[in-house]
Amino acid sequence: MTLPWIPLLTFLGVFVPALAIRGGRTVCALATATAPAVALGLVLFFYLGHDGDEVMRTSLQWLPAMGLELAFRLDGLSLLFLLLILGIGLLIILYTRYYLSEQDSMSRFYAFLMLFMTAMVGIVTSDNLLLLWGFWELTSISSFLLISFWSHETTARKGARMAMTVTGAGGLALLAGIMLIGKVVGTYDMGTVLESHDLITASPLYPAIIVLVLLGAFTKSAQFPFHFWLPHAMAAPTPVSAYLHSATMVKAGIFLMLRLHPALSGTELWTVIVTLTGLVTMVYGAWFAFLKTDLKGILAFSTISHLGLITSLLGLGNSQAMIAALFHIINHALFKASLFMAAGIIDHEAGTRDVRKLGGLYRLMPITTVLTCIATVSMAGLPPLNGFISKEMFFTEALASQQFGGLAWIVPLLAGLGGLLSVAYSLRLAYATFFRRPRQEPPKTPHEPPWPMRFPVELLVALCIIVGLVPTLPQSPILEDAVRATVSGEMPEFHLALWHGINPALLLSMAVIAGGIVLHLLHRHMMRFNRQFKPQDARYIFEGFVQRLVALCQRLIDRLENGSLQRYMFLLMAVSVLAMALGLADLDMLAGSLGQQALDPIVILGAALLIMGGVLTAALHRYRLISLLMLSVVGLVVALTFARFSAPDLALTQLSVEVVTMILLMLALFFLPQKTPKESSGARVVRDVLIATGFGGAVASLNFAVLTRDLNSISNFFIDQSVPGGGGHNVVNVILVDFRGFDTLGEITVLAIAGLAIFKLLNRLRLFMPATDMEGRLWSNDRHPTLLMVVSQTLLPLALLVSFFIFLRGHNQPGGGFIAGLITAVALILLYMSRGVEWAQQRLDFQFQPIAIAGVALSTFTGLCSWLFGYPFLTSTFDHFHLPLIGDIELASALIFDGGIYLAVVGATLMILANLGKLTTAHRPNKDMP
Amino acid sequence: MNLTLSHLIALLPLLIVCVTVIVVMLGIAWRRHHVVTASLTTIGLNAALVSLLAVLTVTPIRVSPLLLVDNYAVLYMALILIAGLASTTLAHAYLEGFDDQKEEFYMLLGCSVLGGLTMVASDHMLSLFFGLELLSVPLYGMAAYAYRTRLSLESGIKYMVLSAAASAFLLFGMALLYAESGSLAFADLGARLTEGGGHASWLLMGIGMMVIAMAFKLSLVPFHLWTADVYEGAPAPVTAFLATVSKIAVFALLMRLFMSAPVTDIASLHTIVAIIAFLSMMVGNLMALRQDNIKRLMGYSSIGHLGYLLTVVVASDDLALLTTGIYLITYVATTLATFGVIALVSSPWQGSDVASLKFYRGLFWRRPYLAAVMTVMMLSLAGIPMTAGFIGKFYVLATGVEAQLWWLVAGVIIGSALSLYYYLRVMVMLYLHPTEEEQYDASSDWGQRAGGIMVILLALAVLVLGIYPQPMIMLVSSAILG
Repeated sequence: MTLPWIPLLTFLGVFVPALAIRGGRTVCALATATAPAVALGLVLFFYLGHDGDEVMRTSLQWLPAMGLELAFRLDGLSLLFLLLILGIGLLIILYTRYYLSEQDSMSRFYAFLMLFMTAMVGIVTSDNLLLLWGFWELTSISSFLLISFWSHETTARKGARMAMTVTGAGGLALLAGIMLIGKVVGTYDMGTVLESHDLITASPLYPAIIVLVLLGAFTKSAQFPFHFWLPHAMAAPTPVSAYLHSATMVKAGIFLMLRLHPALSGTELWTVIVTLTGLVTMVYGAWFAFLKTDLKGILAFSTISHLGLITSLLGLGNSQAMIAALFHIINHALFKASLFMAAGIIDHEAGTRDVRKLGGLYRLMPITTVLTCIATVSMAGLPPLNGFISKEMFFTEALASQQFGGLAWIVPLLAGLGGLLSVAYSLRLAYATFFRRPRQEPPKTPHEPPWPMRFPVELLVALCIIVGLVPTLPQSPILEDAVRATVSGEMPEFHLALWHGINPALLLSMAVIAGGIVLHLLHRHMMRFNRQFKPQDARYIFEGFVQRLVALCQRLIDRLENGSLQRYMFLLMAVSVLAMALGLADLDMLAGSLGQQALDPIVILGAALLIMGGVLTAALHRYRLISLLMLSVVGLVVALTFARFSAPDLALTQLSVEVVTMILLMLALFFLPQKTPKESSGARVVRDVLIATGFGGAVASLNFAVLTRDLNSISNFFIDQSVPGGGGHNVVNVILVDFRGFDTLGEITVLAIAGLAIFKLLNRLRLFMPATDMEGRLWSNDRHPTLLMVVSQTLLPLALLVSFFIFLRGHNQPGGGFIAGLITAVALILLYMSRGVEWAQQRLDFQFQPIAIAGVALSTFTGLCSWLFGYPFLTSTFDHFHLPLIGDIELASALIFDGGIYLAVVGATLMILANLGKLTTAHRPNKDMP
Repeated sequence: MNLTLSHLIALLPLLIVCVTVIVVMLGIAWRRHHVVTASLTTIGLNAALVSLLAVLTVTPIRVSPLLLVDNYAVLYMALILIAGLASTTLAHAYLEGFDDQKEEFYMLLGCSVLGGLTMVASDHMLSLFFGLELLSVPLYGMAAYAYRTRLSLESGIKYMVLSAAASAFLLFGMALLYAESGSLAFADLGARLTEGGGHASWLLMGIGMMVIAMAFKLSLVPFHLWTADVYEGAPAPVTAFLATVSKIAVFALLMRLFMSAPVTDIASLHTIVAIIAFLSMMVGNLMALRQDNIKRLMGYSSIGHLGYLLTVVVASDDLALLTTGIYLITYVATTLATFGVIALVSSPWQGSDVASLKFYRGLFWRRPYLAAVMTVMMLSLAGIPMTAGFIGKFYVLATGVEAQLWWLVAGVIIGSALSLYYYLRVMVMLYLHPTEEEQYDASSDWGQRAGGIMVILLALAVLVLGIYPQPMIMLVSSAILG
């Protein structure tokens, strides 16, 4: 259970710097170093205390539902990486103490660094793929924080964002790959996954898994063509570069390939993709390292190149190659970390990292010169240092590779080329920095750095020499265990040595070294040659790509989302029509079982009128009054259609509703301008016509489908039950007052409330009433035409009588409370219009609000009455009475309910209409006055 | 049917919210008082939230043919009520400086919540439509609440007109379905679908139209056009409400509809929904790249997120319901807190919202904790581990992988990678050194106000759910099974 303490300790270390900074910078550095030091001790303790073969594992339940466990493992591979991460991490902490200037916040830097270290430690110790992925993402975030540490610099921000975007995107691909593995294997447990090699490789998902996982690994390890973020991450403070790009962040991708090697490798696909990517990366990186002039730029591309080397070894995949890869990981971490730190020292002391401005430093900084040169020799792969040994092993494997059949020569060729270039750039690095005569003075006169700042470099270079001279030293305990963790099956025999006798690899090495020296001598020509090409800065390409993408989006936004409601509506409609068009175009499929009805002239005339009315309404919408008249044609035809298809009651209702609506619209229109200016261009009109036609077509074909089908709806039930259940022959009325009485009660309540609301809203509102139209013509000389006065007054009693008649007969014949109410309202409104509001109000000196409310109350009361007789709310009853003279008369309790409807409709309608009319009367336009 | 006590208990949350709305309305008519009105609303919504515990004792229960109150409904009711509460607290701080009548806002909010509650419990077209309209109509008013500012009024009108068109589609679709199946209940529709035959094209057409309307409400491509404008124009608390409550309600209902009527078995519809999902992920995230206005940015990002979530509908398998629940919870918490920060920075109202990204430059140096909250939210939206957003995204991916929807999985991944870019931009902006331009800040005591406390709680919830989501997963799965 002590295993989780390793990542936990480093995580606790995140909070130490903030607390320790009060004690000063040295105390802060020391305190920060405590946690990784203890963790390192713990690792060694574990390692010494356990048997070589066994893998230490521990797991805690975390999220069983997701298959995520807090599981850690410590095997040879984890151990190797832990030593690198924690060991070099400690050195970096020490180095940082002297590197950071006074202005930089040391506690923040250490906190980020510890966070990053936690993530790395987590990756290498995770025993669950999902947990590993979580730490993987954490490295992306914490590296983002570290790279953008100098956030005031644009390059740092952009570099950090690029690194985060690329590695983050790769991380998402990795997540998908891991989930696929989980799907194939059935668990995310590392142990199980590692044993499921056959299961995974046999799965049809295998290619997808490989591609996704490798995407994750390649982006992280800066493999071609995802390498471009790494040079730009050099904007980070040097300790960050030294840490991230030697031993940790970029090695995470390598680690992942190593970790999953037992599960995923061994197929042709793996070998081809990984080896070739690695080799291409190696040559590409080395070439650009040769051409760079920035010290850290050279090291960055060199890192890419060496990562390519390791990757190609992993691709080859036999056990000897794995040994070489693991060994080179150690070597690369040792010499690259020391080189980065040395570059930081030079930058710190000389004030520049540009090799063109440096030169002749060996006089001023002899010790640093020696240290850097030794590390550079190791990087170049020259004997007798560690870099040479692993490179020899690499050449051996490259020459022995058989996987590419006829193209097998390409592997040693690329390997040799990469090696040659790396000799050349290493020479150039050392020569240009230290030995060449300076062309210009560096900004500061350099001198040796303080001893503790140089100490990490010294230690690492010493290790380089020791490993080079005594290569068996790391072999026995560390490397063997690591190999055991990554190579399935028998433990291969191997021994590391400087001298293997004269063999093809040695010959290749010698050729490469010679070639490298020649190339270095030709450096100036190479630079000239390179100048013929357009310089390709990855940052510009990446940013350019982003910018183009953004610009494309902007164009899309401008095109589609310009904020115009009309356009949105158009797109909504167009897409919908398109979506439905296919389904609705096929009329045969839509046609139902019923035959098509015959057309007769009346129907054709009605349809023509309807179409004409609709078209003219839209076409003349700028002339509101005419447009309104056209609209009324539509309404009228619809009402007549009901009559034509034997629904006289509906027709009557529709007719009266139509009249009231028209009056309402007229009254409202009165306050609007009579004409609207033209707004639409011709093209837009055509477009709108097309859309309208399309939509009309869609609705028409749906209508066609409905009309040709036999619909078994509930209407038959109502027709059957109308007389026995509701006691009325007018089905519509029976539905209104009886079957659906509850709905009607709700509706009249709403109507009354709406009337009240309008009454309230219009209260005290006074609008200017124009007496003339826009051209200055008087609307009318006679505001209250005598003829209209006379007619309306004559009609009033008649209309009231009619409405009463309609109300009474409503239960059995077309009519009912609703229609009667509307007729009454219309008659009264006519009176208002002909006589003026003042006149009418003097005579009708009562309020309409109580009428509406009384109507609702009456209806409710009727409903409640049925409770008295023990029936549910709104149960109705009816009976036949025989009255003398009049004869048989049927009275239903629904009649009272209908009366309520009548009152509510009259009250509400008049409340609205009369008040709208009243608006205009108060203010006469005074501008016509002399 | 007769109402029994257990039916009434099942309706308790609806009734309580209803009463709250009426009390608030009458209270306003009697005497205007901002704090009292806000408190009344808060109390009412809290009471409704508590009453869910009582509801759990009677679930599952069918109340009239229209409503089915089961654990699924209760889960989303809780989510809606929490989102409503959060919006209320935000609105309170926000409206403090509003120079017009403040109180009616809470009434509208209550009505809208009521609509949402109805929707998640409905398994009938009628209650669907009723709920949807009750949810949407107050939202028009809320979006245009600051009607003296041009943007707010414009957003309200745009939303209303387009929404009305979408409602027309919904109704038309329902009419077709009714004509075909003779019933408006989801279950009958499902039965009709499984028994096959009949006029399949009608069913297809009807469901297609309903999908259009729902896609509109969920702002999915290509029915998303209103989103950015409305998000930008509406006052920040309203945007928070719109981005959460209406999405929860519509999506929960969509899932219920698609679960009881296995629509995605129909090949063409399956393809259409998949295309909508993929397009939403791409377009939403691509469009967001360019935005300099954080509210617009969130609008586009929401399109992307709903696109991810739609994967679940395409899959429509056992995992789908679980994923929906988890994703909605995490997304709602994150979105609320994000808009919470925006609302707090814009509070009290001062004519328009502080939404331009440049005003957030260097927020960290002025209001460190608020910036920290915003950072966590951006991480969560980007789906970084240890935040709630990751859990949601993980489940979406798991659903996609399980159902072998490779295109959609690829879409989620590409979309997330794109989104990383603009979320990072916001995040980086918070930590840059501020320029000398005019600055807007949350009031210095924001942390002690209701809105501030709510935002902090949400941020904590996002972290806790990200680190230990097991209880949430158990909760959601029990809600689905029960």
